[in-house]
Amino acid sequence: MKKNVKALVAFIALLTLMMPTLSLSASQATSYTYVLNEKGYLNRTQDAYLPDKTISDLELMSPEDLFVDKDNILYIADSGNRRIVKYSIDKGIVVGLLEYEDFMNPRGVFVTKKGDIYVADPTAKKVFQFDKEFNILNSYGKPDSPNFSETPFEPLRVAVDNIGNIYIVSEGVYNGVIQLAYSGEFLGYFTVNKTRLSFAQSIQNYIFTRAQLANLVPRVPTTFSNIFIDNAGIVYTTTMGKNFDGIKKHNTAGGNMFKEEAWGGWGSLTDVYVDSQGLIYTSCNDGYIEVFSSAGEFIFEFGSYVFDLDVSGLYSNLPTIAVDNNGNIWTADGEKGYLQSFKPTDYALMVYGAMGLYEEGLYEESLDKWNEVLRLNQMSVLAHNGVGKSYLHAQLYEDAMEHFKVAGNREYYSEAFWEVRNNWIQGKLELFIMIIVLLWITIKIFKYFDKNKKINKLLKNIKKKIYNITIIHDVLFSFKIPKHPIDKYYEIRVFREGSTVGATIIYLITFVAYIAYKTSKGFIYQYKAVEDMDINAIIIGFIAIITLFVICNYLVTSINDGDGNFKQVYMIPAYGLIPVIISMISITISSHYLTYNEAFILDVILYIGVIWTIIVIFLGFQTVHDYSFKETIISFILTAVFMVIAAVMALIIIIMGDQLFEFIKSIVKEMAQNVFI
Amino acid sequence: MYLFKKKSIYVYLLTSLVVIMISFAYIKANYLTTNRDTKIPPESVKYEIVNKDEYELLHETNTLIYYYREDRDVIMIKDKRSGYTWKTGLDIPFGSDISQAVLEAETLEEKLEIAIPQEDRMNTTYTGMANSIITVEYDEEGAIKFVSSASKDYAESELYTLNDNPSTRMLAVKFTNIELELKVYITFEEDSIIYEVRDEDLQGKGRNKILSLSITPFLGASGGTEKYYNPETDMYDIIKKKYMAPGYIFVPDGSGSLIRFNDNSASFSMYYGDVYGEDLAQSTYYNSRLTDAIPLKNPVMPVFGVAHGNKQAAFVAYADSAAEYMQIAVRPEENLTSYNYVYPRFVYNTNYFQIFNKKADGFFTLMKEPNKMDIKLTYSFLAGDGSNGNYPADYTGMALKFRNHLISKGVLTETDKVDSDIPLRLDFIMADSKKGIVGNEETVVTNVNEAKEILTDVIENKKITNINVGLHGWQKGGESLSKPYQTKFSRNIGTKNKFKTLIKEFSDKSVDISFARNYIDINRQAISYQNNAVRHVNSWYLDVNKRKVLPENSPVFNFGYATPKKSIKWFNKQLDRFSDISTSMTVSGISNVLLSNYNRDKVDITVTDAIALYEESFKKANEKTKLNFENPNMYLWKYTDRYLQAPIGTSQYVYETDAVPFLQMVLSGTMEVYAPYSNFSFYTQSDILKMIDYNISPSFILSSKPSHLLSSTTSADLYSTEYFNYENLIEEVYSKVNDSLRHVIAYRWIGRDVLENGIIRNIYINDDKEIEIIINYTDSIFNYKGNSIDPLSASTIKDGEVQ
Repeated sequence: MKKNVKALVAFIALLTLMMPTLSLSASQATSYTYVLNEKGYLNRTQDAYLPDKTISDLELMSPEDLFVDKDNILYIADSGNRRIVKYSIDKGIVVGLLEYEDFMNPRGVFVTKKGDIYVADPTAKKVFQFDKEFNILNSYGKPDSPNFSETPFEPLRVAVDNIGNIYIVSEGVYNGVIQLAYSGEFLGYFTVNKTRLSFAQSIQNYIFTRAQLANLVPRVPTTFSNIFIDNAGIVYTTTMGKNFDGIKKHNTAGGNMFKEEAWGGWGSLTDVYVDSQGLIYTSCNDGYIEVFSSAGEFIFEFGSYVFDLDVSGLYSNLPTIAVDNNGNIWTADGEKGYLQSFKPTDYALMVYGAMGLYEEGLYEESLDKWNEVLRLNQMSVLAHNGVGKSYLHAQLYEDAMEHFKVAGNREYYSEAFWEVRNNWIQGKLELFIMIIVLLWITIKIFKYFDKNKKINKLLKNIKKKIYNITIIHDVLFSFKIPKHPIDKYYEIRVFREGSTVGATIIYLITFVAYIAYKTSKGFIYQYKAVEDMDINAIIIGFIAIITLFVICNYLVTSINDGDGNFKQVYMIPAYGLIPVIISMISITISSHYLTYNEAFILDVILYIGVIWTIIVIFLGFQTVHDYSFKETIISFILTAVFMVIAAVMALIIIIMGDQLFEFIKSIVKEMAQNVFI
Repeated sequence: MYLFKKKSIYVYLLTSLVVIMISFAYIKANYLTTNRDTKIPPESVKYEIVNKDEYELLHETNTLIYYYREDRDVIMIKDKRSGYTWKTGLDIPFGSDISQAVLEAETLEEKLEIAIPQEDRMNTTYTGMANSIITVEYDEEGAIKFVSSASKDYAESELYTLNDNPSTRMLAVKFTNIELELKVYITFEEDSIIYEVRDEDLQGKGRNKILSLSITPFLGASGGTEKYYNPETDMYDIIKKKYMAPGYIFVPDGSGSLIRFNDNSASFSMYYGDVYGEDLAQSTYYNSRLTDAIPLKNPVMPVFGVAHGNKQAAFVAYADSAAEYMQIAVRPEENLTSYNYVYPRFVYNTNYFQIFNKKADGFFTLMKEPNKMDIKLTYSFLAGDGSNGNYPADYTGMALKFRNHLISKGVLTETDKVDSDIPLRLDFIMADSKKGIVGNEETVVTNVNEAKEILTDVIENKKITNINVGLHGWQKGGESLSKPYQTKFSRNIGTKNKFKTLIKEFSDKSVDISFARNYIDINRQAISYQNNAVRHVNSWYLDVNKRKVLPENSPVFNFGYATPKKSIKWFNKQLDRFSDISTSMTVSGISNVLLSNYNRDKVDITVTDAIALYEESFKKANEKTKLNFENPNMYLWKYTDRYLQAPIGTSQYVYETDAVPFLQMVLSGTMEVYAPYSNFSFYTQSDILKMIDYNISPSFILSSKPSHLLSSTTSADLYSTEYFNYENLIEEVYSKVNDSLRHVIAYRWIGRDVLENGIIRNIYINDDKEIEIIINYTDSIFNYKGNSIDPLSASTIKDGEVQ
């Protein structure tokens, strides 16, 4: 019987699901919706929310804060009219006005599960507590604790946790979020933002005297702009200003639970709200609304700033946000005093649904949803990540790799790739061994038959002939340098070896290797795509640095009794570049076969290449100019100084030349206009 | 026993189901409308017989009687059909006169006798404007001022009869403060008034000072507050609201928008609709910047209207001349005055920022040469619900009246189509460019062969045959970085021969494939601006910064506009080159953007001349090729075979209350009209219903390869195009829309009603046959004439039966 009841319940649940879903009057939003792409840039996507209702007949004046209770009643802190408006979202009417004689500028409102209404009023310097029927229960003034004596108490926003502790964001308080017990006793500061010093401030700290520092504007942490407590009692805060504090989800000790910065600092956050699924909604003063997952991943952004234009969903001042029980977003326009709601589109609901399923561990179901999302936006990083992770769970590593690649998720890609590579190696292990054995046997057989070394000699002859072609010889000579830099550079010094043509070819090879290294590494290690690079800057930079170095070094060493002439100065760096060329090429190739776990191998190769090259070139200069160690160092430092000076000079000349050109152009134009006509 | 238990489970199950259903139905019965819907009509307007004491009779026709009040310059129009009276002005006294008289009166009785109510929030200037036939906005040392034909000071006006014909009159106005004289020719027709202001009739020094000219700004205004005299305080301090006639203003924002008369609680900004879009060469600054806000929609036709009550009285106004300088302005209640009103504003001059050095310092100044125009504006009056063969007095009547006017002028021609299915538009994005190691790199997402495969699949497997196709990004390097006149093909996309074969092969299957090109958006990477780009009146090249909406690694961010002459030259070049390949061209850009161009500070081409140039060229082109225009302005409709990307809905100003398919009603039966691409947020069930409701055909943009390949190009906004993902959706959307609309292909659309919030009825007729399409946007079943219409569905009803 029990089984039957269960089946019945399931059946009813199924039927309920099959009922017509809420209608979506889609088709047009008033601002673009963005998601983050794999490079961390914003990318346009299907509309996530559409402006729904505009309610402009409530005669609100500077509405500052919104809250939705469990009965879908919207509480509006109508600060300009000194009241709290209770508005029924389902019925579309005002169901109550909380007007209290001590209200002076009520700017924050919070409603507990029990239905108690807390109102923060910075001008009255109080937090008021009312019951459902608007009877005043308590009013919390400035705590009389000695710890609090100096701090101003001007409550701007308020939130209350399940035990009844009150969290207050107060104007002008840098110490953090004020936490009061139900009794009104000051418990301390719940959380605090760290002071972040700018570069200039750090330098000031270092060089200024204490008296000088005291004269500066005090370095205080950024202040909180809002606070929210969700159903589970988790505290969320937002911080004003363009900084990295942005939005935080706090643990009971006040620490931030987001591992990475959830918010990149596009505007100044004014409010935060969290729905029953744990999705986090924030509003920015410049009219943007953002949605984050419960783990702080960016999901959507929409909205825009407008000036003197009253279009639904665009704002010149957006002070607050709330979400009702149907998932609709509610906002209030701070200036014009109207309410604007937004309805999620089925696209947004699909994304939320897929995320929910994944979080519950229903990977297969979430995979279907994610694929639906991808159908509507193939650039959705969230969806590709979702699909990729589901495939990873299902051990479909190659499919997972494909999606992680589009999503730009190198960490997971690497994980999947490790598995694929592992399988490949295991599969081909026997083949490998066979090939090695075969090769070994072939060589043995070859040596056995070529006892007279005829073939060997022939090969050597060919090698020699090729080596004797001047240019090839000049280039290949560079391979001898890394082993015996001093000896071989000496040969350059006495003009026995090397040529400018050879050096030029080596520079070119270096350039090709460098570009390959920059642009063609494997996905895991290629952090920037070609289209994101300023290729011109790379090319010009490469040529400019070498040219500058050669010229400046030549000038410096000529005054400092260096023996090398210009040709040699040009050749020295080129002939020392072999280690770095080899390391760049080998990194470029091996990066296609290595995962994140082996990253240190690439690092080591690069370090060896670079350091070796530096040592070789150093020795080269020392040898060619016939310098002591100390003299070489000094000549290098001087060269660097000269290079900076030359670069600055070049810049000045370019700018002046441009202006001169414009000047001449305008004179010619004037002449053309006035003299000849 | 067991059986009984089992039964009880069923009973339990059924009851609970019923309960759930009922509660569901109860919650959902109430369809909540937004400003993207059309709502139920306004209430009826109450009106009384108007006192005609101060008025003289001017003229009488079978439909209207015209009166005039000399001292306030107000024309009164009485509609014989409905008995409703319109006044071109508010017909109100100057408050200052009354206050002065009350102040001077000696006894309280005297005071009470002369203390008639005054208009609140109306100063002397606004009182003059509210009465006036013509109001002039002028610049006085940087300040904007108004003077009107009914102004208290500085204006003298006299109404003359022309040729002894009482139906032709001329109002001569002299504005003494700005030394301007002008003549307004007024013609009283059967059911309409025509106003004409010719350029040559604007005389005097003031010609160079005027910014704009508005005609009867307060005709149809609704709302207002009055001040009453308070004997206790001896002041006018009792404020009462006047009767606000229910009704709405219609403006051609997007597909059409209604702004219902509303008593607002906040002062909302004005609505300004620049007909054919703003002439950026004359805007305040030469440069602009796109933001994350979706651009506002521009009116593509010079028409607006006002309706009072529910199908009782209305007028529709349209410009036959000077439309390119017309702005439709709406002032919502609480913005300065307490009236809701709409008026046409003809722009003669603007204050722009003249730059004088390279650092872009400058000053504001007026254009040396004001715009020249001959205004011709008609107000047509509508009455009744349309049952007696008249146009109904609502937005549908306005649309039908305007449509008829355009047909009579030859702008629109009714087609007699015989297709059995509605058409489907499939565009392809073939390629675009992104930054590469050296220069830019072509990214191909659809080549000719792939396009062929997709089309074959649609025709053979999806059985959709009435298709037409536009190819975007077919040039070497794709669209954004290739020269607009370029006719070079790329091997990766397809050689000329391949294109030729493709187009030929499908034209045999009567699928029309055309090359698509935007002839106006240019950038310095693609082409030099010298002699090609439009210069602002301050002589700088126009510049639009699109950084905010383009990907961060886009190869180009700043765009200019090609001059009208060059756009046309480039179009003609490609037309000549491709006339042997395709018999159709798809044109965007110039279809919807109208700009003048300046050389130094002399005008090179005015918008009026640009229109003439476009008309001439497209007329010639249309003789040998079909023209598909993207959202074309009205002056191109004569040459438009397919109207692509027709706007749906409005710009969604907060005071816009309804969206209506005005544009679609005007165009219906004269050309094929297509919806915006369904790929981008236009694919849900209610969007499909909207296509049926608005009588438009679906369109898609497709690629063969995944669209994320375009994410580093300027086409990154095409974020979802891969055919693989869309094949089922194309079939679904098309079949649903076709199932409803194929029945009305040869029919005329004559009416649209809202039966209930969320339930729309469209009426089509063909001779004596009538078809009704009922669209149910709600979540509950709707019963209509014995037929039940499922939630979120549409039904076509002919002879009382669902088709």
